[in-house]
Amino acid sequence: MVASIYNLLKLAFHCYNNASCIFQHSKPSSPNSVEEDPTGNREATTRANSNTVSRYEADFIMDNDSNNFKELRDSIITDRRLSEANNSINQIPPSPPSHKNDNNHFINYQYQEIQKNSLIRLPTEILLQIFHNLDRKELYALLTVCREFADLIIEILWFRPNMQNDLSFKKIKEVMEIPKEKTHWDYRQYIKRLNLSFMTKLVDDDLLSLFVGCPKLERLTLVNCTKLTRKPITQVLKNCEKLQSIDLTGVTDIHDSIIDALAENCLRLQGLYAPGCGNVCEASIIRLLNSCPMLKRIKFNNSENITDQCISAMYENCKSLVEIDLHNCPNVSDLYLKNIFNDLSQLREFRISNAAGITDKLFELLPSRYYLEKLRIIDITGCNAITDKLVEKLVICAPRLRNVVLSKCMQITDASLRALSQLGRSLHYIHLGHCGLITDFGVAALVRSCHRIQYIDLACCTQLTDWTLIELANLPKLRRIGLVKCSLITDGGILELVRRRGDQDCLERVHLSYCTNLTIGPIYALLKSCPKLTHLSLTGISSFLRREITQYCRDPPPDFNEAQKSSFCVFSGHGVNQLRNYLFQVMEEQAYSIEQGDIHALFLDQRRRLMNNNNINNNNNNNNNNNNDDDGDVEIDDNNDNNNGGGRNAWDRRAEGLGLEDIGIQPIFDLNRELFRELNEGNMNPEEIQEHFQRLILNRHQQRVFAFQQAQQQQAQQRQQGQRVGGAAAPPPPAILAPGQVGRAGRRGNNDRNPENAPQIEQQAVFPNEDPIIPDINDDEDVDMDQVPLFPRN
Amino acid sequence: MSEPKVIMVSSDEERFKVDQVVAEKSVTIKNMIRDLNPDGLTEDFEVPVSTIRANVLSKVLEWCEHHKTTVFPDEDDEDAKKTAPIEEWDRTFFRVDQEMLYEIILAANFLNITPLRDSGCKIVAEMIRGKSPEELRKVFNITNDFTAEEEAAIRRENEWAEDR
Repeated sequence: MVASIYNLLKLAFHCYNNASCIFQHSKPSSPNSVEEDPTGNREATTRANSNTVSRYEADFIMDNDSNNFKELRDSIITDRRLSEANNSINQIPPSPPSHKNDNNHFINYQYQEIQKNSLIRLPTEILLQIFHNLDRKELYALLTVCREFADLIIEILWFRPNMQNDLSFKKIKEVMEIPKEKTHWDYRQYIKRLNLSFMTKLVDDDLLSLFVGCPKLERLTLVNCTKLTRKPITQVLKNCEKLQSIDLTGVTDIHDSIIDALAENCLRLQGLYAPGCGNVCEASIIRLLNSCPMLKRIKFNNSENITDQCISAMYENCKSLVEIDLHNCPNVSDLYLKNIFNDLSQLREFRISNAAGITDKLFELLPSRYYLEKLRIIDITGCNAITDKLVEKLVICAPRLRNVVLSKCMQITDASLRALSQLGRSLHYIHLGHCGLITDFGVAALVRSCHRIQYIDLACCTQLTDWTLIELANLPKLRRIGLVKCSLITDGGILELVRRRGDQDCLERVHLSYCTNLTIGPIYALLKSCPKLTHLSLTGISSFLRREITQYCRDPPPDFNEAQKSSFCVFSGHGVNQLRNYLFQVMEEQAYSIEQGDIHALFLDQRRRLMNNNNINNNNNNNNNNNNDDDGDVEIDDNNDNNNGGGRNAWDRRAEGLGLEDIGIQPIFDLNRELFRELNEGNMNPEEIQEHFQRLILNRHQQRVFAFQQAQQQQAQQRQQGQRVGGAAAPPPPAILAPGQVGRAGRRGNNDRNPENAPQIEQQAVFPNEDPIIPDINDDEDVDMDQVPLFPRN
Repeated sequence: MSEPKVIMVSSDEERFKVDQVVAEKSVTIKNMIRDLNPDGLTEDFEVPVSTIRANVLSKVLEWCEHHKTTVFPDEDDEDAKKTAPIEEWDRTFFRVDQEMLYEIILAANFLNITPLRDSGCKIVAEMIRGKSPEELRKVFNITNDFTAEEEAAIRRENEWAEDR
């Protein structure tokens, strides 16, 4: 009995060892840089949206450190077992160092009594496990200890040669330049991963040629190696029958010969990123798709040669696809794509753009139920034929979508947003740029169901108003907001967003370029409550195009023309902090002076005198500025001079309107709150809501118009007075001026002439026809000029 | 009757009677028990582990006993495993001579007690860290089987690995 159990144990142990060997052997083919990263990082990093390199690195980090070791260990152990097995069959003793016993070739199979206290007695897999805890430098020290270690370590080191910095890049290059017979090992035998995308400036054809003849190469990454041409790439691919992935992102000379070489040699290819394949002919693409049936990730971008025939070949041959990226392939239609969707329910990512042939039929073959279980990313940018119908079907079939990009699908309306709201917490990333038909109602519906949205882009959705901002305030995980050219957005909306989101906001990137109504105050509030902010774009907003603000802005792209450069205003990284600090400083000074002015009567006289001087100066300057306003440069210079005089002066014109506790914005808050209380209670049907809003807005507008007219009348009177009294006219009592301005700004329906204080009628465009009498206060600079006669001293 | 125990018999015929949970820290034994007793153990279960000596087996079982309720990081997550520091208790546990250290690691490998094996490997890695090749040979009892020329060439050709 005992004996039989003992045998069983032995058997079990053998099985365990062998099984793990075989099982693991089959594994290495699967995890793949381009291929196997189901979760998080890829999408998280695409958020950055700017450069593929960083995204790629993220993939590699994720992939390499963990899977790397397993792959390496498994392949080394498998190789050794195979060679040891061969050795034992052929009765060739495996050249053991003298102190090893004859059982050496069974060392991996059988547990042995340890006779000596030497590390070398441990089996390969244990040694590998130990080495796994060491970094490259420590392995280098071990390398020359003895042959057994060296054989192992050399495989670990060259598995993925480190080409990430200048020095090691050059040293590896030097070694590669030695003829392979003259080096101690032929290192090319060991290279399985080659990533040259860290030092792209040093990568040219000569360099890549050094790596011709790496028979075990599995992954080749040439991201942004722009100098490379087709020839060495083709040569490297020769005989690489184990190649699993190749990334040619940024390689410009992608030619038929490269694709043909892949089709000829690399039949196990699983990942192919060739976004710049515009010159590759249709026939080569089809040949490749026919000969590489294991393909999982494909990226063909910017090519007119990707046709329905290619898609057909893809459909016929590549049944394992998880990612299809056809960005800017205008000749692809839904003809065969719909079969792919029907056939490949494992699809995870699908991208296409600017293809007129993509219609609502794309999902027509799919059953109307949860079918595309794995689909997480869909991008149908600029496929103008699609309508809400497609989105509605998509949401039914793929309810676990995480990223949805529908930008430039002009026919999309709020109906799509309502459909997308069914994605609920799955949705993390939504891009609806240029979907001009969507309104606040759609955004509200979407945002209220999808709490986990981290990225939202609504650029050029010109109907959106401050309501959208208020809805966005409810997204706890929001990291990026894109509202470029949503020109109805106002200060009130930003302030309310900030107020609702609270301190320590997690926002990281905010795009508000061309939201022309914005001024500095609310942006300061935003900066203050978003400590993680790393990007803020305010291009084309006149309030920010001032030297003291733009000094912290980053340089415009070199290919911008003068006009573009002069309106460029984007803060990133440290610039955001600098802007925040600068505004903080200015606000502190402002707060101090106002507090002093209001409260400390003791210092009043002195302060008044000081502040009057300042104010008069400022206003004088303002007048200059405004007169010169059509010439931005002059304004900047003026302000600059001004600024040199005293930090506070240049600021005053704006700061006056910002107030400290939302002064001047209060009326908008009140209105917004009223509106949203109604909306939130949700007892009304849409018509009722609309009606109600219209009434509120009309009331509001009438108040505004009335106040505005009154203000104009007053000004006119003052002007007349001024004229009557002539140049000697006393200015308004200076002592009251500074506090008085602030006080006025705080009042409801105030008559302040400063445009920043004028509550903006942010709702106007939602019901554009309902508001016949909107005073033209958005052209604020004109209003500002009315101050001229107030200070005839000028 | 109390719960059935697992009796492990060492190569030198010493019998160790332990709780099932302790023995099942070894995946090998766990699978074996499960395969032979699909309905659970009803009586004591005797396993000969004839490749492990009593002094080593007792060490291993001491570790299993101590860690019988410990939850270890995911088996497949090499990163988590790599970065996890060595537990202080384990460090004390491994204060043994090299021969014993290797025997424990081998036994852990044989019995498939991954956390114990990994912990041991980390201890060895720590012994390796920061030493020159000559020191390493001395510490680990290894004879240099390279010629001076070979050694120089290998060093030169792999110098890149020294850089971070």
